[in-house]
Amino acid sequence: MGEKIRILISKVGLDGHDVGAKLVAKALRDAGMEVVYAGLRRTPEEVVSIAIQEDVDAIGISLLSGAHMTFFSLILKFLAEKNASDIMLFGGGVIPVSDIKELKRLGVRGIFTAGTATSQIVEFVKQEIEGRKRGKVNGSFFQ
Amino acid sequence: MFDPKMLEDLKAQKAEWEKILKKDIERHGERRREFSSSSGIPSQSLYTPLNLEAEKIDYLRDIGFPGQYPFTRGIYPNMYRREPFTFRIYTGFGTPKETNQRLKYLLKLGVNDVQLAADLPTQVGYDSDHVMARGEVGKVGVAIDSLRDMEMIFDGVPLNSFKRVSTLFNSLGPVALSLFMALGEKQGLDRKNYVIDLQNDVIKEYVCRGTYIFPMEAGVRLCTDVVRFCADNAPHWYPMTICANHLNAAGAGSTAAAAFAIANGIVYLRDILKKGMPIDRFAPLLCMFLDEREDFFITIANLRATRRLWARIMREQFGAEDSNSMALKITSYSHGGETLREPMNNSVRIAYAALGYVLGGVQFLYDASFDEAVSLASEEAVKVAVRTHQIIAHELGITNTVDPLGGSYYVETLTSQIERRMRQILEKVESLGGALEAIRKGYYQSVIGEGASLRQRRFEEKDMVSVGVNIYRTEEEDPEPLFRMNQQSEEEQVKNLKALRRERNSREVQSALAGVKQAAKGEDNLVPAIFSAVKAYATVGEISDVLREVFGEYKEAISYL
Repeated sequence: MGEKIRILISKVGLDGHDVGAKLVAKALRDAGMEVVYAGLRRTPEEVVSIAIQEDVDAIGISLLSGAHMTFFSLILKFLAEKNASDIMLFGGGVIPVSDIKELKRLGVRGIFTAGTATSQIVEFVKQEIEGRKRGKVNGSFFQ
Repeated sequence: MFDPKMLEDLKAQKAEWEKILKKDIERHGERRREFSSSSGIPSQSLYTPLNLEAEKIDYLRDIGFPGQYPFTRGIYPNMYRREPFTFRIYTGFGTPKETNQRLKYLLKLGVNDVQLAADLPTQVGYDSDHVMARGEVGKVGVAIDSLRDMEMIFDGVPLNSFKRVSTLFNSLGPVALSLFMALGEKQGLDRKNYVIDLQNDVIKEYVCRGTYIFPMEAGVRLCTDVVRFCADNAPHWYPMTICANHLNAAGAGSTAAAAFAIANGIVYLRDILKKGMPIDRFAPLLCMFLDEREDFFITIANLRATRRLWARIMREQFGAEDSNSMALKITSYSHGGETLREPMNNSVRIAYAALGYVLGGVQFLYDASFDEAVSLASEEAVKVAVRTHQIIAHELGITNTVDPLGGSYYVETLTSQIERRMRQILEKVESLGGALEAIRKGYYQSVIGEGASLRQRRFEEKDMVSVGVNIYRTEEEDPEPLFRMNQQSEEEQVKNLKALRRERNSREVQSALAGVKQAAKGEDNLVPAIFSAVKAYATVGEISDVLREVFGEYKEAISYL
């Protein structure tokens, strides 16, 4: 494999429950990825600007506060505005099934709830990013 | 505690029995590599009087009588035969009006101890129209911007309808206290006739849960100002509940969590003592929120051990003389292993958790509702939760005698082991310079982080089991929540807030806020100034902004390791 996959893990809004976010950050790092951890109380604007500045391949957001519809939508919107929709967005937390479906429809690639094995998240990220990188090589990059 | 001859015979016969056990294990094996939980206390196959002997347990010194030092068997002589634990519910969502309806419903069910859940913007001091409140208004609790919201929440529900009324606001204890006191005045009640209970423990917010606002020293001052104010003005209230719960949930394990809670408690004690109030004036007002979610017997032993250790510390280290200073009142939350899948099973989990806390001698007992793994509780689910409490209190004979497991070889051994382990952790915290320094040096965070990783690994290896999730799992999809939040709540709340700002007397608000600033800069108790501001309908966000200006804000060292 080529360069390390770079991931931004962050909490958004005022939710202070960071156990899940930290566990996922550790699992991705242990799987050989470069993890940027942005901590608590980030705004959607900050998350997008850190993601671009750090040149990450994906953003993982943890939300247990019920504010997921608002924040995922805003992050997708700001990514699009900054022409950064190639950054893959995924997340996890306390999120009801119907909201998961709606978030996926909006463009969030994966949502993981409590009881998920971290290995499953690692696999998901690898597949998504490698798929995208291949897409880039074959597509826009060498056009 | 036992006749030496008897112990010798027992030792010999146990050695024989152990040979049989060994053969059994060699032939059939054991289900698990180690029978233990994240509390860090492993279980053996069998407990006998030899364990009590090995722990050097002395009945009168270590177990004693309920209502007497060291309170291992409970803090009251007749415990639940006099009165059961309280039926407590944590509730609040959406707008004040919606929460008001729920409170009235809970009263009808017989709930007698209610804790108001405030939304996150309220807890971290932002008004509902602040940019940081986007998407969060009324979500994890009710939005409280000002006294006006409290008036709506408790409309037709006088504060003395319940035995105790409570909320969190861990970074803004004086604001929470003032909101209740001002509401009590509006309702025409004498302070003597109702009881306010506040969590008001900020220290754990800096390492888990995360609703900190100010730097740690200022945070501690706000908490202890509330305790001192109540000791002087309302000594029958509960101005502080020191929490192990969130520390355990984040990963510390129940033993370390309780030890950290005691260490955090010591920070508050020392701060108040330094300000000149003697220990027996305020220590009787303190409570502790204990938690264990994986092991039924550890739950019981954790409560007994913490009570004993607290009593000993209060007497030996702080020179308390009033036994009320040593008798630790305990809150617990019957929850833990609730799952999103097959939510009805959670009722079973919650009932057993509740039973554990009751056998441990809890005073104030919340029950989670079976649907709370994915949303706030529905009316249907909260009813089952309340009934669970009431069944344990009144059916089944569980409350017919005091501390029914006292003297159990297993429970007494666990109690001693937990107390000893807690002492070791406390010594470590002290050697680092106390709780605040231990947090600055990352000690709490490393214990919590390692514990969380271990828990996840144990879950993935099925060493920690969740029925229907990592074993006996079926293919069905996760269910939809029973309760959905009204999405218009935020809009309505912001509209009401703007109306308040137009209608109140702004000169009075400005002058009260100036008073808060003045008080914050000095050393005096902040409660009176904040009380005036709350009565003038200054908002939670406005008061917090003034305090931010004086104290600054806490910046967390960002690390996931």
